[in-house]
Amino acid sequence: MRRTIVNLKSASVAAILSVAGLLLCCPLHSYAADNAVQVELDVKKAAPRAVEDLTERSILRDYRFAWLTMSRALEFNSPDFLEGAFAGDVKGMLTQTVASQQRSHLSRRYSDQSHRVEAVFYAPEGDVMELHDTAEYQLQLLDGDKALINEHVVVHYVVLMTPAADRWVVRQLQAVPRF
Amino acid sequence: MTSADPEMTGLFKLFAIMCMAASLSLPCSAQELRVPSSAIAGEAATIPTTGSGNATFYLMGPGTAKKSDVTLGEEIHLPSPDLQYAGNYSAILCSNSCSSANFYVTAAKPAAMIFLVHPSRVPVAQGDAVSGVAFPFDRYHNLVTAPLNVNFQLTAKDATLWSRSVRTQDSVAWFRTNSGNSAGPVQAIASLDDEPVRRVVQQVASEPCNLRITGERTRAGILVQTEPVHDCVGNIVPDGTIVTFTSTGPDGKGTVDAPIKQGVARAKIESPGASTISVASGVVLGNEIRVGAQP
Repeated sequence: MRRTIVNLKSASVAAILSVAGLLLCCPLHSYAADNAVQVELDVKKAAPRAVEDLTERSILRDYRFAWLTMSRALEFNSPDFLEGAFAGDVKGMLTQTVASQQRSHLSRRYSDQSHRVEAVFYAPEGDVMELHDTAEYQLQLLDGDKALINEHVVVHYVVLMTPAADRWVVRQLQAVPRF
Repeated sequence: MTSADPEMTGLFKLFAIMCMAASLSLPCSAQELRVPSSAIAGEAATIPTTGSGNATFYLMGPGTAKKSDVTLGEEIHLPSPDLQYAGNYSAILCSNSCSSANFYVTAAKPAAMIFLVHPSRVPVAQGDAVSGVAFPFDRYHNLVTAPLNVNFQLTAKDATLWSRSVRTQDSVAWFRTNSGNSAGPVQAIASLDDEPVRRVVQQVASEPCNLRITGERTRAGILVQTEPVHDCVGNIVPDGTIVTFTSTGPDGKGTVDAPIKQGVARAKIESPGASTISVASGVVLGNEIRVGAQP
């Protein structure tokens, strides 16, 4: 009987520790994942409108969020991650990519992302901004669990972002050979 | 080399025989993929392969993630729907080992344009008051990054008020210009070749100019009204614009706001004593009149 009680107590402690562990792990995991996307933004060359400080901070935050969510969507083949950060044609393209990956049981994993972003155009009325992103990351293309490719790549992206109700959203994300 | 080493010749022969035997079932080594050097969005492409036997081919890019069985020695066909998005693609060929290569698909010829014009309503004769931004896209919604000439035009009643050809830089062309002198709708047009995109800007009269009032005493009070209110270039100021009449007399100071209706604002001021009445609209002041006391 005593052994049963001790076992029950041990089980309770183990359960509490597991939950605590989960609670602790999740934020740490999120933090790590967030930190896996490094973005530097340079707005000095933006024209014809100068980028306001608040806008600069928003772009930095929202572009980083876009890459974070896109990486998750393409790694876990879940289009739900695309909500909020993308709009228009690029959202359709990414949704199509996820659907295509789901059908073929393929996925892609982006890690160690570093983005050097330069704002090259900011519309006179502030309703669209063009960014040039030189992105470096480790790219894995997977067939199920088997990695087909695991390579470090440098890709140039032309990005269009527009302001939405409470954030900037990505409307175009297009890789180009060079700027 | 004048004579062959018999031992080395034997080794080469052995290697050649092994390769020939192996090629019946598996390739001797991973292939070097020759991917398209200049693929265009929406156009089919091919990738040649060498050797024989079966392999698995993967194509991963924007909008695409495909896996298919292919026969080595035959061309791999990339159909146009798989290449409709501009961007970077990875081609991967796996048999006993995998080889891969990346290639870019660039936008097709321009077919559409995003054209943003601001503002939708603008006072006449304002400096740098109208701006437009144009981004060219192909029929698959890819941004066209090659430089292009975009023709901008402002027209009113079939007359061209302003035009300019602007070459895209970083895939965008834009303009900023003054608003015209006449109230009414103005079309802002951006065109690439023969495909114009139109937006409408409503030009409205600017601030009133030479605001003048007349007034007379009646039994009910002082009736004041403006002369027809125009801006400085002669456009009638739109109905609803507020005009403020201020009377100053022995009873103190009073104000009455009245909207312009059909170009004229009217008000009744109840002041039995002699009064000085002034008028203003926004930051514009008009004349003053003096009306005598009630008899």
